Amino acid sequence: MAPSARSRWLRPTLIAITATAALVLSACSAGSGASAGDTSGNQLLTIPREDLATFTRNFNPLSPQAAPMTKEAVYEPLLVHSMADAKDTPWLATKWDQSQDGRSLTFTLREGVKWSDGKPLVAEDVVYTFELRKKVLGGLEYLDKVTAVDERTVTFSFTKPFSPALFEIGGQSIMPKHVWSAVEDPAKFTNPDPVATGPYTKVEKFQAQSYELHRNPGYWQPGKQQIAGIRMLAFSGNDSANLAFTNGEVDWTQSFIPDIEKSFVAKDKDHNHYWFPPAGAMINWQLNTTKAPFDDPAVRKALSMAVDRDQITKVAMSGYAEPADCTGLARTYDKWRDKDLAASCTWTKYDADAAAKALDAAGYQESGGKRKLKDGKDFTLDISVGSASSDWISVANIIKQNLAKVGITATVKTPDWAAVINSYEQGTFDTGIVWSNNGATPYEYFRDVMSSGMLKPVGEKATQNYHRYADKRADGLIEAFAAATDERGQREQVDALQELYDEVAPAVPLFTGPEFGAYTDARFTGWPSADNPYATLGNRNTSTILVLTSLKPVKD
Amino acid sequence: MRLILRNLGFYLLAFWVSITLNFLLPRFMPGDPVSRMFARTQGGMQPEQLAQLEKLFGLDDRPLWEQYVTYVKSVFTGDLGISITRFPTPVSEVIGSQLGWTLLLGATALVVAAVVGNLLGIVAAWRRGGVFDSVFPPLLVFVGSFPYFWLAMGALYLFGVTLGWFPLRHAYDAGLTPGFNAEFLASAATHLVLPALTVVAVTVGSWMLGMRNTMIATAAEDYITMAQAKGLSPSRIMFRYAARNALLPSVTNFGIGLGFVVGGALLTEVVFAYPGIGFQLLAAVQGLDYPLMQGIFLTITATVLLANFLVDILYVRLDPRVRVR
Repeated sequence: MAPSARSRWLRPTLIAITATAALVLSACSAGSGASAGDTSGNQLLTIPREDLATFTRNFNPLSPQAAPMTKEAVYEPLLVHSMADAKDTPWLATKWDQSQDGRSLTFTLREGVKWSDGKPLVAEDVVYTFELRKKVLGGLEYLDKVTAVDERTVTFSFTKPFSPALFEIGGQSIMPKHVWSAVEDPAKFTNPDPVATGPYTKVEKFQAQSYELHRNPGYWQPGKQQIAGIRMLAFSGNDSANLAFTNGEVDWTQSFIPDIEKSFVAKDKDHNHYWFPPAGAMINWQLNTTKAPFDDPAVRKALSMAVDRDQITKVAMSGYAEPADCTGLARTYDKWRDKDLAASCTWTKYDADAAAKALDAAGYQESGGKRKLKDGKDFTLDISVGSASSDWISVANIIKQNLAKVGITATVKTPDWAAVINSYEQGTFDTGIVWSNNGATPYEYFRDVMSSGMLKPVGEKATQNYHRYADKRADGLIEAFAAATDERGQREQVDALQELYDEVAPAVPLFTGPEFGAYTDARFTGWPSADNPYATLGNRNTSTILVLTSLKPVKD
Repeated sequence: MRLILRNLGFYLLAFWVSITLNFLLPRFMPGDPVSRMFARTQGGMQPEQLAQLEKLFGLDDRPLWEQYVTYVKSVFTGDLGISITRFPTPVSEVIGSQLGWTLLLGATALVVAAVVGNLLGIVAAWRRGGVFDSVFPPLLVFVGSFPYFWLAMGALYLFGVTLGWFPLRHAYDAGLTPGFNAEFLASAATHLVLPALTVVAVTVGSWMLGMRNTMIATAAEDYITMAQAKGLSPSRIMFRYAARNALLPSVTNFGIGLGFVVGGALLTEVVFAYPGIGFQLLAAVQGLDYPLMQGIFLTITATVLLANFLVDILYVRLDPRVRVR
């Protein structure tokens, strides 16, 4: 009785398990590798998002959480600015003119551009886009009026001469009036089926873990629409995204890959490539200038001299970053850099002895191996970095070792970024490793690092200029830059700003951050590179559209 | 019946306490959603945009008690508001799109672990001191004490990358549309194997140990000796007499486990890029997305309480002693 009961129970179960296992294994071997190695000419460009575990169907270009590619492949701006070569490419506008007094800007729209529903792009669409943006998001305080002069001409008039407006206005995604004027609440509209001018506007197979964008049939430059479409994949972290990439299942990533030569390039030297141009923002060691002794420029310069930037860029940043100089400008702004000034820098060169002497001279003597403040206490400081940024924590630790050589005791503090940012915003921090503003011109950068434009007192929430430094002379130069109508006038101001930066050292510039990007050209060719730097390899910035319209599928 | 009513009263009180905590806790965290978002882009956003986003999100700056009243109202009407980290998608839609996968993964892993663990426990206790009993409990406890992340990564590299038996990510192949067809179901099943198995591997040990220990205590009862004296078959005694009585603590654990399934399996989701509530909750906490956090906490609270309530009712049916008390 007992054995029969057991076998009755066991036999069907065993059969079921074996059958399931067989099914599982066969289905699996058939499923994997279907997309990898597809060179039919119709393969989709596959891009991972390591920072989005799931997608939500939201193609509203006014939303900060719009689905990836909304502003890169679906909607298009008037002009495209590339951070890689600092060039502007006319896009929906063929040309733009600034008036003599700098108070207005006129764009001429391209002929023959159609929305994906077949209606033509007209000046009214541009006017409506900016009305909507102001209504939904506010901002653009300098913008007085937008007028459609005729079908293809739009004029923006300003309340004051303001040349940096070109990039903010030119970079705005243009939206169709005939669609959006019928939307009841544009701020809360998820726009699931976008009508736009971009090369890939048709949303297909939208799922939380992946979706596809297919060709816009009426695109205005059909010759540049060579890839069949884009497939986005969601990942909940670098590890799983990098695994898909090094496995050859996706084409283009911008997530950080440790030891990329070995873990990625070595797997397929012919096809796997990366390019990390220094097109990122300047990363500063910011000293809270409301606290003594950081209010003393001599101290800031001495601390800067104590820092070994070569070690920081080589060790902490794995050689991917470029050391800073005393102009304070990131490599992105090479064309603005004062070459003579950069060649004669003193306080951004590593020299521990000179740093010690400068501190002595400023009144901070060393006794018994410890440097003393003017009130006799030990010279100590905290460096705050968010716990998630392992590379920047290494940067802070190198600074700590460097400072020990001049008798200063530094403590590296690594709470959650939220807590760190809070101490920056309120001005309660000591020192910290902080990014800076990376606009199309150095205007935003200098405004935020040394003018009173973004200055807030301690205890009030600051969004920039966390170190709270302002110089009246900088204010004047920044304003003159904004008012200058041509590049020569702007250049004069930037030169003066660099000299001022060198004189007052508002922050300790460390290095230009790299723009990560890697790709395989097994399925697509035409990528930007050091030889052809038309864009960065970022897949979510202003120059992404240039890459999407340059790639060609490999076809056997 | 009175017992059930009394329990119901207790559950309502517990529900009120937990929704109140759900409301208060997120608001004790430092910062606000917009500066979190700004900080995450690290220079990718212009400072002017901060004010614009505050305007767009329409952040609530009414007094806390007024917000609380609105919140309690929304809990009962089911209108959970609009997510901030997924603006302007409604919270219910964000949760809804993930919940299915979370339930599939969590329930599969829970049921497999509970069934397998209990069976192993029964057998181990019945053959106490035998080879099976000396090998399995220590082995499973050993596996269970591995850090889950490490185990999952190891399984992914071995079975996914090196052997290529299982897919590396997601709940089904990209490009498929969910539906009741063989291709999709097979794809979903193969994608489920590795994530579920790793969860089972680390949890099955505790089910087995728990069952084994209760079984041993039960096996010493007089009615077991009586049954043996009557000459009943060993398997009948094992399952009908001993295991059925030893099952009660496992039922409680199952109820608790079922409730927590909706919280998602964060690490599993991270390693296998499996869609689910766990990562969504992490993102909501990091982004200080109050509405989404409240929504997810509410779902978890409600399910845990509901599962426990159901277990209570089931207990009345399973264990006559509860009815008498």
